[in-house]
Amino acid sequence: MSGIHVQDLGKRFGDRVAVEALSFHVRSGEVFGLLGPNGAGKTTTVRMLTGLLQPTEGEATVWGHRVDRDGEPLRKVVGLLTEQPGLYDRLTARENLRFFMKLHELDEAAAWPRARHYLERFGLGGREEEPVGGFSKGMRQKLAIVRTLVHDPKVIFLDEPTSGLDPESARTVRDAVAELASEGRTIVLCSHNLAEVERLCERVAVVKRRLLAMGPVRELRHAGQALEVRVEGEAERFRVALAQLPFAPNVLAEGPKLRVMLADDAQAPDVVACLVGAGARVHSAVPTQRPLEEVYLELLREGRG
Amino acid sequence: MAFRPKRALAVFWKDFLDLRKNVGLLVSMMVLPAVMVLVPIGVVWTYVRTPDHADLRSVALFYDPTLPLGASAARFLIDKTLTDWFGMFLVMPVFVPILIASQSVAGEKERRTLEPLLASPVTAAELVTGKSLAALVPSVAITWTAFVVFCVGVDIVAWPLVKMPLMPNALWTFGVFVIAPLFAFFGNGVAVLISARVSEARMAQQLSALVVLPIVGMVGGQVAGVLKAGFGYYLLQGAVVLVLDALLLWASIRLLDRERLVSRWG
Repeated sequence: MSGIHVQDLGKRFGDRVAVEALSFHVRSGEVFGLLGPNGAGKTTTVRMLTGLLQPTEGEATVWGHRVDRDGEPLRKVVGLLTEQPGLYDRLTARENLRFFMKLHELDEAAAWPRARHYLERFGLGGREEEPVGGFSKGMRQKLAIVRTLVHDPKVIFLDEPTSGLDPESARTVRDAVAELASEGRTIVLCSHNLAEVERLCERVAVVKRRLLAMGPVRELRHAGQALEVRVEGEAERFRVALAQLPFAPNVLAEGPKLRVMLADDAQAPDVVACLVGAGARVHSAVPTQRPLEEVYLELLREGRG
Repeated sequence: MAFRPKRALAVFWKDFLDLRKNVGLLVSMMVLPAVMVLVPIGVVWTYVRTPDHADLRSVALFYDPTLPLGASAARFLIDKTLTDWFGMFLVMPVFVPILIASQSVAGEKERRTLEPLLASPVTAAELVTGKSLAALVPSVAITWTAFVVFCVGVDIVAWPLVKMPLMPNALWTFGVFVIAPLFAFFGNGVAVLISARVSEARMAQQLSALVVLPIVGMVGGQVAGVLKAGFGYYLLQGAVVLVLDALLLWASIRLLDRERLVSRWG
């Protein structure tokens, strides 16, 4: 069974609940975003799914391996990029990679072309024999990504993969992630860079100890859709009229602009008709979607209780 | 879970490579063997230089009141020094692996390399084995090399008085090749155990190094004439340490539990 299947997963450390009742499914070939503030349980979730921590509740399988009992075979198919690159400074880039090839019991002669491909791709070609201690932050991050991929993992967990990278390198990494997914790998991306998540992920889950929301990025943004209406004169005077609508939308008024929150697209004509009926001269009415960041922050506010 | 020697050897390979490039640690590893070799050679040399000094006889009689009148006090004290010094020499195989193992286990936490390592297929037993080998092999090699230098040095400085090679003798040969590796295993086990509980390599070294105090204390007892060192005495020490080694191995594998390490330090 490919992909990731998570059912009611939870983790307690003594009395402290780190994650509870988490359920989601990630398909093979999908890039899935795991979003949440610091301390929301993202790292704990990833650690459970990579066999580093045992769940205290629920169950999960990663590429057909149960996370609670198949530790060794699970770790063979999983690649984990941790938040810190975690490289051995006195060792060269080649030695760092060779160590992980040995841990995965790879035939080094066969594994090197793959490693070299990624080293070249990330601009580290020709730097293999240099000690990692002399690398810049971005170079270390890129080498850590190569290390994550060296054993050709089926499921890849990436924690802030473009952290510390210049825009060009970040783009290279994003392209590589998309390419890896297109090869049928399952990728889970943890990031605070919501623009990046929006660009890379088909679906996201917003967690804060428990699941707050999950779905395709487009749908989550759609849930926060609004109609921006530009009228003649002060828009504030039409708030009362809009409040009479059966679905009583939330309205923000600023100068000649009204921002009317909608539950779905079908409400837009009613809003325009209501405004016209109230005597408004409507210059434009444009449906908009809120940026993911706004949706995300609202979800966190709602989930605070 | 199957034990895969290749993965344990991979850990050994990486740690050994890292050690070879750690100049600071290599220098600190060499200081103790130098002291352990040069001090007894110096002591033997002082006895050889003035073998008829009246005070030597007084000292010899303190340790053995039955020393015959015609016997050489200098020769007696040389033999006693060589027997007693073996107890002190055992500090080296305990201390050197502490220096290495503290760096390699607690150092992984400090450098934040532990999580990627634990996310690989390596098991706790393979990790302990690889890291222990990386601490034990250099420690035992240093001990044996120091022993060879010690033997040559003692024989050279003692020759004018005794006209025969004193070293290697049976006690030292057995001790260095059988008991010293057991002590090295002990030092390593203590360091691995403590490194698994603390966050910094330096703290692990400082705490682990406390285990040499009983050894030094016993040597103090020998010098004070309270304890009489000999083959049986060191054999008993070796047997006790062998039992401790088995306990430490068991505890180390248990304490290097993946979840415990990740949740505390990862």
